[in-house]
Amino acid sequence: MPEIILNNLNFILPELVLTATVLVIIVAYLTNRKDETIVYYLSLVGLVITLYALTGKVGENLSAFDGMLSIDPFSLFFKIVIVFSTIVVVIMSQHSDEVKSEKNLQGEYYFLVLSMAIGMMFMVGASNLLMMYLALEFSSLTSYVASGFTRKAKDSSEASLKYLLYGAFSSGVMLYGISILYGLTGTLSIAGINQVLMQGSVNSLALLISSLFILVGFAYKISAVPFHYWTPDVYEGAPITITAFLSVASKAAGFAMMMRAFKVMFVDSSLVTLPVGAWGFVNGIHLQQVLIVLSVLTMTLGNLVALWQDNLKRMLAYSSIAQAGYMLLGVLVLGNDGTAAVMIYFVVYLFMNLGAFYVVMLFANKIGSEHIDSYKGLGRKSPLLSVALAVFLISLTGLPPTAGFVGKWMIFLSLINAKMIGVAVIGVINSVISLYYYVRVIRNMFLRDEERMSDETFKFPLAQQILLVSLLIPTLYFGLFFNELVEFAQFSVTMFGVK
Amino acid sequence: MNLYEIVFYFFAIVTVGSAAVVVFSRNIIYSAFSLLFTFFGVAGLYVLLNADFLAVTQLLIYVGGILVLLLFGVMLTSNTISVELKTGTLHILPATILVALLVGLLTATFWTADWFMSKRASDIAAQTTSKEIGDALVTTHLLPFEIASIILLVAIVGAAMMARRENPKSQIPI
Amino acid sequence: MQAYIPIFLMIGVGLFLGITFLTLQRFLGPHRPNPEKLSTYESGMPPVRTARERFSVKYYMVAVLFILFDIEVIFLYPWAVNFRALGVFGYIEMILFILILLIGYIYILKKGALQWD
Repeated sequence: MPEIILNNLNFILPELVLTATVLVIIVAYLTNRKDETIVYYLSLVGLVITLYALTGKVGENLSAFDGMLSIDPFSLFFKIVIVFSTIVVVIMSQHSDEVKSEKNLQGEYYFLVLSMAIGMMFMVGASNLLMMYLALEFSSLTSYVASGFTRKAKDSSEASLKYLLYGAFSSGVMLYGISILYGLTGTLSIAGINQVLMQGSVNSLALLISSLFILVGFAYKISAVPFHYWTPDVYEGAPITITAFLSVASKAAGFAMMMRAFKVMFVDSSLVTLPVGAWGFVNGIHLQQVLIVLSVLTMTLGNLVALWQDNLKRMLAYSSIAQAGYMLLGVLVLGNDGTAAVMIYFVVYLFMNLGAFYVVMLFANKIGSEHIDSYKGLGRKSPLLSVALAVFLISLTGLPPTAGFVGKWMIFLSLINAKMIGVAVIGVINSVISLYYYVRVIRNMFLRDEERMSDETFKFPLAQQILLVSLLIPTLYFGLFFNELVEFAQFSVTMFGVK
Repeated sequence: MNLYEIVFYFFAIVTVGSAAVVVFSRNIIYSAFSLLFTFFGVAGLYVLLNADFLAVTQLLIYVGGILVLLLFGVMLTSNTISVELKTGTLHILPATILVALLVGLLTATFWTADWFMSKRASDIAAQTTSKEIGDALVTTHLLPFEIASIILLVAIVGAAMMARRENPKSQIPI
Repeated sequence: MQAYIPIFLMIGVGLFLGITFLTLQRFLGPHRPNPEKLSTYESGMPPVRTARERFSVKYYMVAVLFILFDIEVIFLYPWAVNFRALGVFGYIEMILFILILLIGYIYILKKGALQWD
């Protein structure tokens, strides 16, 4: 037994490195009272080593810890996305006045961000319902605390409480669904559940109820309508770095866990009439229709409400709800090309969304406001910042030649391949709607002048410019040269235990 | 009715009855104390199901911990004792439809489903679960077990952070 | 189930005794209330304002930490029941579990969350 466990430890080496980093951070923070930046450098070093450890896992496809975790290309892809966005968020935090203003809490801050990343890394690999629930609660619990980080802002505590209440409710419903599924099948392993379901002896009403209840937990994590109520308030109230992190990494982990759960647990492997790469749900699971409804609601509501937002943080919150709707499109086609499209979208989304939040943060550092009117005349004051924001917003809309176009293109392509033209048309119409509110910001920056003209220009330190440019370049690069990204995503759709 | 059923209905009535008081009482203190009986009744049901470890957990964590925390929560907030809670129903029609639908679906589920029955002899003969849980924790469920400790660590740090003092002057620098 | 019969009996007897005595004193004892008798201290100072005061948040901190370490104890319990059979490896795993939580405890102490002033 010990040998097997020690062997298994090797499979989760990246997670172990990150866990060790978290523990070291706390100890270093407690022993070194004077220098608060030491936790920042420790986090960065730990994250880079984690990323390096992840590269050693390429091509591994196995199951660890008695089927608790799957170490496969699919989880590796999302782990890279998560760790990479954590690195960006950690550097962002070092540039954020909001985070730095909380003296005496720097250690806790980086501890929480890295803990959240650990929870998410376990989420994407979990292949047992118990492990899934535990990982989900892990990342949620840290998110609740992190979104209430800034004590001065009243919104922050409110955000934290709202997040907690919605989270407790949805994870409770999810747990109920899991318990029904366990009662039906007698196992918590998602592959084991699939085996029982394939025998066809499970009551379909009970199966429907439990699958819907489990979906509630996922839908809350990815903030799909109608489980999105927490999103605008939390995104607005939380520190902007945490908002950026939640909108990218947390969403990626939620999507990964959902896709794995549905594909491994509910796939009907006896269907042979389907084209290559496509798959179907077992009898009694009607999740595809539910997902279509969720996705259409999510993008439409997200985009329509975003039209009325004047606070940029809040606008980006609704925009990220809408983006989750587009990504759901890739899930509901039930095929490998759809899964790959979602994965490509997440890489693209990582750069453009973190970039957009970073610009808003840098600007808030100078002005102290996130209101859309304060962006008037920014194009003259800081050309780099405003051009970057314009590119990120165009990319979020999905216009060429940016990476956002590639992401959306792949998703719509997979929909057309699956002959779901109607849904694809709704997606395109939604992209057009979203153009309006993104362009509003760009118009304010370049075409509108502020009431009191001033010749003031904003200067940003070199480190901040470097981070901005390094988010900007991939947003443009992947819009033109996307072959390698697409190939890597198509290679990474392999999940353990599924053909 | 044999002894088992008598005990079951006793605990079931205690649980449901006190839960109803929690929901319908207009005094928050009554609600909190009534919750004690709900937790207790659930612990009794666990015992009936031979889930002795769960029953101990229920008593130690929920009755001994969560409830005390809840009462503290009530005492920490001002004006809760004098203020009447609004426990009236707000949107009666949609709520009734939703609840009726949910109750109907769940009841139908529980009547119609073929629940899984373990055929392992050791499961049927089992009288206590603590040993098996202890065994599972350090072998098959080792990973969730160790992750639980990290989650608890996060909770400790989070709790200390959330409850930190408002006034920066009285804050003790670490 | 058989093993729990004494506990159920205890609960039954406890409930019976409590309810019986409360009912008996209501019927057997004299019951003549007057304002003087009903006051909080019959022969003391008249109380000023309510006794129900708002508690300090410090109690809450202690209660939260109590629950967290309570959960730790719950995890120890099934391991302790089976301590010998689980062997050295189980011991090491449990030590790891406790050590991680110990870091949390040191954090609380260092951060002064338990200091009363």
